[in-house]
Amino acid sequence: METIQRINHYTAYRPRPFTREERATVTILFGGLTWKHERLIQGVLHNLGYKAQPLPNITRADLDAGKELIDVGACCPTIFTTGNLANFLKSEMAVLGRDEVMKRYVFLTAGACGPCRFGQYHESYTMALDGLGLRDFRLFLLAQNQLDQGATHGGGLEINLPLSLGLIWAILCADVLTDLEYMTRPYEIVPGETDEVLRESIAYLYDVFRNRPPEKLCGGKLKVFAWHVLTDYFTDALREVRKRWDAIRVDRLQVKPKVKITGEFWLQTHEGDGNYNIKRWLEQEGAEVIPPPIAVWLDYLLHSPITSEEWKGAERNRKKIALLRAVEQIYHFVYNRFRKALGNLPYELPDQEELKHLAKPYYHYELRGGEGHMLVGKALYAYRHKKAHMICELSPYSCMPNTMSIGAMANVLGRYPDLLYAPIEVKGDAEVHALSRCQMILTEAKRRAHAEFEEVLAKTGLTVEAIRRYEERHPEVQRSTYRIPHYGYAGTAANYVLHLARKMR
Amino acid sequence: MRIPTLRILFGKKASAASPPKDRSSVRVGIPKVLNIWSTHQFWVGFLTALGIAPENIVFSSDTSEEQYREYGKGRGTVDCCYPVKCMSGHYGELIFGQKKKIDILLSPMIYSLPSFLRGHVLDTLTCTRVMAGPENIKAGFLKERDVFAENGIRYVSPFVSLGEPEKVPKQLHLALKDVLDLDEEETARAVEAGYRALEAFTQKMRQKSREILTWCARHDRPCILVLARPYHMDPGIGHEIEAELQAHGFPILWMQYLPIDDDLMQWLFGEEIRAGRIKSPFDISDVWPSSYSSNTNEILWGAKVAARCPWITCVIRFSSYECGMDQPTYTPTQKIVEASGTLYFKFGDLDATKPAGSIKIRVETIVHYVEKYSRDLIRRKLAALPPRCPLLEDAAPTSESASLAA
Repeated sequence: METIQRINHYTAYRPRPFTREERATVTILFGGLTWKHERLIQGVLHNLGYKAQPLPNITRADLDAGKELIDVGACCPTIFTTGNLANFLKSEMAVLGRDEVMKRYVFLTAGACGPCRFGQYHESYTMALDGLGLRDFRLFLLAQNQLDQGATHGGGLEINLPLSLGLIWAILCADVLTDLEYMTRPYEIVPGETDEVLRESIAYLYDVFRNRPPEKLCGGKLKVFAWHVLTDYFTDALREVRKRWDAIRVDRLQVKPKVKITGEFWLQTHEGDGNYNIKRWLEQEGAEVIPPPIAVWLDYLLHSPITSEEWKGAERNRKKIALLRAVEQIYHFVYNRFRKALGNLPYELPDQEELKHLAKPYYHYELRGGEGHMLVGKALYAYRHKKAHMICELSPYSCMPNTMSIGAMANVLGRYPDLLYAPIEVKGDAEVHALSRCQMILTEAKRRAHAEFEEVLAKTGLTVEAIRRYEERHPEVQRSTYRIPHYGYAGTAANYVLHLARKMR
Repeated sequence: MRIPTLRILFGKKASAASPPKDRSSVRVGIPKVLNIWSTHQFWVGFLTALGIAPENIVFSSDTSEEQYREYGKGRGTVDCCYPVKCMSGHYGELIFGQKKKIDILLSPMIYSLPSFLRGHVLDTLTCTRVMAGPENIKAGFLKERDVFAENGIRYVSPFVSLGEPEKVPKQLHLALKDVLDLDEEETARAVEAGYRALEAFTQKMRQKSREILTWCARHDRPCILVLARPYHMDPGIGHEIEAELQAHGFPILWMQYLPIDDDLMQWLFGEEIRAGRIKSPFDISDVWPSSYSSNTNEILWGAKVAARCPWITCVIRFSSYECGMDQPTYTPTQKIVEASGTLYFKFGDLDATKPAGSIKIRVETIVHYVEKYSRDLIRRKLAALPPRCPLLEDAAPTSESASLAA
């Protein structure tokens, strides 16, 4: 032992335990999604007796703080999220003092089991904690691919089925509501109405998750699982939400290009300075945004093991494959129930097999890291099914997996030169460059949206005035919750005209 | 009606097994990039076992700016780290720059790597750019027209998990069966041959490294360890910085080929294993819990060895510009090495152009410090280890290794 004591070798960060007894006094910090997702997740955690608080939304100041605290060359999601945590802790330290902050808070973040540095974000967090003199601050990782991970070090946080299913259900509900938000706001007649109803809806859904019936969350795992899948508790709540959205009136004759957002998980999900507020900016520029649901990522995580097992031999692994497929189907069943509760307005999940098939000539589906082949698959899916006029792919500067799929997209664009694709590299501090790049492609997307609208008017023989008269007689078509079927045109206005033309017949 | 002839009546019946397929004239080009630098012997062993003549296995040259200018310009599809970006030049050289044309361009997507750390770490995956590099680079040769087909070349890019040998025969069979007319059995045999060749080469290199360390121990001389990714051995990527240091008389070791013999590992890590700090000499969970990436894991392990091994008094770290895998490891690696006072110098942001001037200045600095502090460092690190060093019990080094070390 004496020999070891002479040189004090380096050891990595090890958090001290977060004990069960501390649950009542220690607040779990988390972040990285949208305020909607985070608020519902907070509801889940409160429901299970945890004190929980999302970190403040990301700002440009977080980028500056992150850059000061971690090694150079990090991707912007790492810098932003590290700076975000650091700034929050600094502000709390100014009020409470260092020791109290270490006592009162723990930070929970997702870990990844893949080759991308996403799985190493916590190294940056610990470096930042070191820099702030908070080496003893507690940071815990939540694996994305296990529903029942047991108690964390010390038992303070128990990652069990009621928690994991609650988190997934919260994410799915926030996803479908986000779809509704983005398809409504660009067309709202009363400015600001969508945001107001959205805030009310999230507040209501928070209570729904906060008040999950405790008796349904105890007992066997199967019972807890079955309740979540089959209950009307969440769908009833979403129906209630839909009623609130009924009141919003929209003008779908505004011709807007549809822009599908894809990219690196954090950047595409984020709404704020971290991605130059690009979704809001696109709306201001006259576009309708198709936001990326987190549900697709979860679907990818569920589908990948099926592919792996099939590769090993479908005959040999028949039972396992059947089980995995059943879980996947249940997942789709739940998502579609939520969609249905909102009048089938939110977009359906793309078929993972189709994404794989579309991407196959360009990007191997087993190449892990980031969104893998899905970036290529999703762009082609939107293009071939005419779901969007343009793809806006958000990638962090120096993102390892995304640069590879963007490179592979050159091959896709060679074959489909009319696919409008705007890969935007986000550094966090080069807003003008990124947005002007996006605007160049958006101009062409706008032209196409208008062209298809004119084409539909000509095809149906309708005029805007005639449609306005019809709307006066049938005000229900101007409800935000009135569903316009997809008739093979990307733009909402074009599909709307076709729909009304059929109704008028 | 068939007329019986002597040949039909008495001729030797054809064997049930199909005759060996003659692939001796097939020329296979392999871009010498990324993890080919640590797995080339596998590919040589594999292809040779399939009957491809060794002289028909063509590797592209070392990376150079000229190579990219001449063969890769205009083929890049995205800005990324140089080790991936330079692949366009390698592809182009194999397509356009061969006197004798290749028939197949083989650019494997290596998903995971064989590693001595396997079983002690969470995984041995390659970097996301490394595994997907071929998909990115091939796009530059397909986006306008199929350059491979135009030049009569079959492009093959098998997805291969070299870290999981049981998967490899099927992966390679599926990818190559049509191109090389392979059956499953011969693929499996060739894969075994590939692994044998790789293992033999690695063993040989580890033995050489041990001989160098033994020489250092016997002569009480310092050596320098390079912590880098395998492709930094490419003079166009690593810019031969270590060669400049070697010219000053310091033996150079590469982390990839450090000896891993049990006696040496027990000497270096035995106390820590007995204290329960680590489970084995190859356990890096004490310094790097997210041990998914193979090359990263080995760099962290190499840093641990450097911090302990007395005669490694200096570490030089190479890292390419925009390397996302290296980025989170900068501080931990430095801290691991410097915990024992071992000298640590990083050459970061390496790119296409060799920064000759700054390398020269930094080499002078390194030489100064190594000369000044090595003696004390060796004493200090020796004092922290058990008394009987297995290196000093080794037989005298061969003249070859002595000359290598010198």
